[in-house]
Amino acid sequence: MPAPDETLDSAERARVMAELPPDPHRLPPKGEWFAGDAERHLLDRPKFCPMCASDLAIDGGIATEYWVGDTRNFMTWCGDCGWFGEVVRFDMVTITEEEH
Amino acid sequence: MLTVEQNEELTQVGPGTPMGELLRRYWYPIAFEEDFDTVFTKTVRLLGENWTLFKTPKSGRYGIVAEACPHRRASLTYGVVHEDGIRCGYHGWKWDFDGNCLEQPAEADNQNFRDRVQHKAGKAEVMGGMVWVYVGPSPAPELPRFDVFVMDGVKDCGYTTLPCNWLQIMENSVDPHHVEWLHGQYFQFLGETSGFDAPKAFQKKHMKTGFDEMEWGILKRRVLEGGSEENDDWKIGHPLVFPYNMRVGGAGIDQMQIRVPIDDTTTWKLFYSNHAPQGADLPNQERPVFYEYLWRDEEGRFITDYIEGQDIMAWVSQGPVTDRTQEHLGRSDAGVAMLRKMFKENMKKVSKGEDPLGTIREPHDRIDLPCEKDKFGAEREFAEAWITGGSMRYSPIRQELLDLHNNAWANREKAGAGA
Repeated sequence: MPAPDETLDSAERARVMAELPPDPHRLPPKGEWFAGDAERHLLDRPKFCPMCASDLAIDGGIATEYWVGDTRNFMTWCGDCGWFGEVVRFDMVTITEEEH
Repeated sequence: MLTVEQNEELTQVGPGTPMGELLRRYWYPIAFEEDFDTVFTKTVRLLGENWTLFKTPKSGRYGIVAEACPHRRASLTYGVVHEDGIRCGYHGWKWDFDGNCLEQPAEADNQNFRDRVQHKAGKAEVMGGMVWVYVGPSPAPELPRFDVFVMDGVKDCGYTTLPCNWLQIMENSVDPHHVEWLHGQYFQFLGETSGFDAPKAFQKKHMKTGFDEMEWGILKRRVLEGGSEENDDWKIGHPLVFPYNMRVGGAGIDQMQIRVPIDDTTTWKLFYSNHAPQGADLPNQERPVFYEYLWRDEEGRFITDYIEGQDIMAWVSQGPVTDRTQEHLGRSDAGVAMLRKMFKENMKKVSKGEDPLGTIREPHDRIDLPCEKDKFGAEREFAEAWITGGSMRYSPIRQELLDLHNNAWANREKAGAGA
């Protein structure tokens, strides 16, 4: 499922947004600078623990997003099993060669 | 980037909120001993509630109760202080140190009523010239006797009240990179454009940063350009002391940076320093020196030509409560994400009835925190820069502090030359 993109026309964007799963959380005010960005990020962040599949919101966990270039990292802690690590989203898998 | 709900959960400190319940498991400094030299009561605000802090006239014992009398809600700060508690000035209801009602003068024949009302009360103790309070559930943990407050030396503490949530100040403590920019490059820019020499010690680039969870919080480490993992900055580091302090030090200065959550949008910010440079002849000091430092000029602009003033600009300009639904964290913000996880983890512990991180229940004399001594590889320069380029520049004993460090340095050089 494609992520909604600001370059899409409004009708197409509305259609793509409608296909995203419903999000129970309140969104930032529409007029804010990054509201569209925040909206997208909130919709596709990890919702479940990679270890035990507990719901991060219900069981007191947290996934905090930070970026490394194009890569989106979610530092994730599960309030149920205590798993602490990162979930990483990327569009292309790349590796950096060490000097050899 | 957090949701609106996550941001509210992490920043609301009132009673009944998850963060408020967590924060009520810790002791806080809320006043100075000297505040009670001429009066016996003081209204203080902590964690979104108003309290009456009082000191008994003869024994000098401190107590704290919610400010509003449970009878008709008048302020107990305008009450009568007795050796066994405080009496409301309005109708004379008397409360002991645990919030039990001892007397209701106009209800004398109805003892059952007295037993049915309980006032909110906490614990209060003195340490390091400050009055510390605990307003959480019983039994209260021990007041942690962190090294800075009880070690020998000359003590100096600047304080102010800031119009922002305490968490945005705490997040600054796990953000090492801000030092080389805010206190390095930005300071340099100000110096060049305003005609003063900005300190160079803060301009070194960060090559590597690390964060370790430890028994008191998060230990922060850094390797700066030209340094290595053998330097104190990495080998020892310094800790964020969960949930509201940061311990820093170097060049004979040990400091606790204290962020007391007054309410959701107000923080009492103290820089409590102990000066004991090696080789110094330490003078006797009856009490620490407390003073207010400035952070806005006459036109209301932030004063940014000193270290803490720069930090305050960064904290307060984010707004009363940072809108974390609008943030974009990067790789260098991993410590911020880690701190949020630590808060969530300890909220969970409290909800399960467990003691959160840093709770101490054993009596003790002193808790030594890990903290680097050789700061940024620039000891003498660093001490002088800290005193003249930090909030200590507002200290009434600033010159005495400079003399103390310079004399200690001279004594060490003399001792070294004679060796």
